Amino acid sequence: MKKKLLALVLAATMAVGMAGCGAGSDTGAAAENDAPQATGEATSDLNVMIETAVESLDPQQATDGTSFEVIADYTDGLMQMDAEGNPVNALAESYEVSEDGCTYTFKIRDDANWSNGDPVTANDFVFAWQRAVDPAVASEYAYMLSDIGQVANAAEIIAGEKDKSELGVVAVDEKTLEVTLNVPVSYFLSLMYFPTFYPVNEAFFNECGDTFATSPETVLSNGAFVLDSYEPAATAFHLTKNEDYYDAARVSLTGLSYQVIQDSQTALMSYQTGDLDITLVNGDQVDQVEDDPEFDSIGAGYLWYVTPNIKAVKELANLNIRTALTLAINREAITTDVLKDGSLPTYTAIPRDFAADFAADQEQFSDFCRDDATAAAEYWQAGLDELGITELSLELVADEDDAPAKVATVLKDQWETALPGLTINITTEPKKQRVQDLQDGNYELGLTRWGPDYDDPMTYLGMWYTDNSNNYGFWSNSEYDAIIDECTTGELCTKIDERRTRLYDAEQLVMEDAVIFPIYTAANAQMVSSSVSGIEFHPVALNRVYKNTTKN
Amino acid sequence: MKKYVLKRVLTSIFTLLAIVLVLFILMQLMPGSPFNDEKLSDDQRAVLYAKYGLDQPIVVQFGHYVVNMLKGDFGVSYNISKNTPISQLIQTRLPISINIGFFAVALGTLVGLILGLIAALKRDTFLDSLCTIISVIGVSVPSYVFALALSFTFGFKWRIFPMLYNSADALNSSVMPSVALSMFTMATIARFTRSEMIEVLGSEYMLFAESKGLSNHALIFKHALRNALIPIITVLAPLVVDLMTGSLVVEKIFAIPGVGSLLVNAIQSNDYNVVIALSFIYSALYIFIMLVVDILYGVIDPRIRLGKESN
Repeated sequence: MKKKLLALVLAATMAVGMAGCGAGSDTGAAAENDAPQATGEATSDLNVMIETAVESLDPQQATDGTSFEVIADYTDGLMQMDAEGNPVNALAESYEVSEDGCTYTFKIRDDANWSNGDPVTANDFVFAWQRAVDPAVASEYAYMLSDIGQVANAAEIIAGEKDKSELGVVAVDEKTLEVTLNVPVSYFLSLMYFPTFYPVNEAFFNECGDTFATSPETVLSNGAFVLDSYEPAATAFHLTKNEDYYDAARVSLTGLSYQVIQDSQTALMSYQTGDLDITLVNGDQVDQVEDDPEFDSIGAGYLWYVTPNIKAVKELANLNIRTALTLAINREAITTDVLKDGSLPTYTAIPRDFAADFAADQEQFSDFCRDDATAAAEYWQAGLDELGITELSLELVADEDDAPAKVATVLKDQWETALPGLTINITTEPKKQRVQDLQDGNYELGLTRWGPDYDDPMTYLGMWYTDNSNNYGFWSNSEYDAIIDECTTGELCTKIDERRTRLYDAEQLVMEDAVIFPIYTAANAQMVSSSVSGIEFHPVALNRVYKNTTKN
Repeated sequence: MKKYVLKRVLTSIFTLLAIVLVLFILMQLMPGSPFNDEKLSDDQRAVLYAKYGLDQPIVVQFGHYVVNMLKGDFGVSYNISKNTPISQLIQTRLPISINIGFFAVALGTLVGLILGLIAALKRDTFLDSLCTIISVIGVSVPSYVFALALSFTFGFKWRIFPMLYNSADALNSSVMPSVALSMFTMATIARFTRSEMIEVLGSEYMLFAESKGLSNHALIFKHALRNALIPIITVLAPLVVDLMTGSLVVEKIFAIPGVGSLLVNAIQSNDYNVVIALSFIYSALYIFIMLVVDILYGVIDPRIRLGKESN
């Protein structure tokens, strides 16, 4: 009987297989015809995998990394990033900073042109920046000009108190742009490569109207590549080298071919067949590819941390309890055994390899933050005694995505093992809801992340300022607020070294009070073909830059 | 017949309006909002809400939406493709999904019918068991498993079909997703055809037809299959819905720029307008198919048509 069944199953498989071959043979010829064409392209176009589609090609509306990357492929700003992420001249031929640090005068290159032949002018920047703060445009990144860039009148215009024409940016003449700031901003030049600050050709924009930046016909290029196939939310699109680019000699790729792939298995297989030159791999696939020399891990800048709700949960208002929780985390185990994607254990409130390596010394707060379950248990006991309880149950909320859900499970395990009497209940939610719950203060412990907006520690430290909307735990410390004030709008803005020292002081306050439990600095595990070199990776603003990329 | 069709069409329209209302309420109940990214301040969120009219009472929003929808305006996307009109977003994607879905239904139905027929006519033989095994596999294995298996063998190993959808080569690109999607339909149709055919073949009118000396061919195709088709058409409509849900995952695996992947992304990012528009289109398609099925009953079996008309 068994034999008969086996024979049947075998026959069935063969039949299915044969049916498949039959269907395949008609079309197999066509597929083969396509093959030479595909490889012909591959010699010079870079085939790039992205996980999500472009959300917007409008530089003043875009907010996500993918959109920024693509916009920057075909648009230059005043500055661009060098391989280390420092700002170097792009459209700006030269610039001057006034003595008080509040006025920047940029000279725009004479040979910079839009792809319709118009020269890039100072007015293109004035128009774009005014759009960015225009309440009618409602740009999500308007705060890059106001809070972060401190461009004069930006905040008032966003609030609707002044007209956008009063923004502190004027075209002195066709090629001279003058920017006025409220206070000196030490990192202002590094904002100039952020796409919100990119120019838009006003006449062209008005011609396009509502359709601006929705197709190759409705975008203008002034950068290394020209968009030649695209539609909104496209899963595949293409850019060709811009022969009229002022720096065209430096660009060796003939084009960029983007492919959105959401399924990680499909992405890896496509990479292995050579359809892709660069692809992301997820944590589960790392074991399979980690010995491959083409496997690499690139810092993504995101800091993942747990925020305790200090205001609403009285047990978490106890410093010993909080210190116990942060000490009880085994960050090494999380990055090496769980994530495996090259993420780095982090013991500082600023992520690693960021802002001129501000967090280079991971030991500096080791009194309050390290992997030490034994010490954790002591703090824990002290905290329980102070509270007069023996048991504590806390809820940990996390995104339902793969990595955060896994990390939450491990945290629960580590905490419950190290801290007797503690019970952790995990709630996983869609990210949108998790963010809402944290912002509303409707949580006990929250696993969250923060990506840097600009190349300065303030992009993190600004969060724990009293009443900042991302200060989820509602922590408040007047000494801390004073340091932040001093370093953003006060006298330290221009004194770079002193400012840095004070920022460490601020970070120390956050760490010793265990306002956040830093866990790891995220990394992207990826495969990059060995025939490709010179892709520049950055944790902030533009994650990947292809201007100097070569492919053999 | 005309009156019957008209009545069905009117009911469909009201059903669709009710669906829009339900979708609207569901969107309101959905946790989070399109604009609660951690990078947004309260003021900015207020500005965005005002810009898109989301600060209005839900009744007003619903009114606006229905009025605009009747004009063919489904609004704009909030975040998966900022400020792009939904109609533009769907325009190129819907035909791709419908094509693949159509191939899948056609392939599944055809192969399913053949398998079912063979199984019924060669009842209790080796062929019958073979067909049964195929249909059990088809019903129990989800379409994305087939998709991955096909992608791995025909795409990755043998390179017969492209692993990634290529709009320049739509026909070849559609083969694997269509086959993966068709498995469930095929299996279900095969099982139904088999049992219906066995029942019909054993009925007295078949015995009568046979005793009249009709040819085997006429017996099976004119008498037996036609009667067996009615219950099969009934299952076809819900199967089409399974195709839609299956396509959500299959589109992801083959990176197909269809509406399924769009819907998944829209739901995850609370892009209300996209979710409502796509759910509406899915509902409209489903209702349309039900309508067609109802009318088909009448064509295949005159008794149904007469029965309804006399009411």
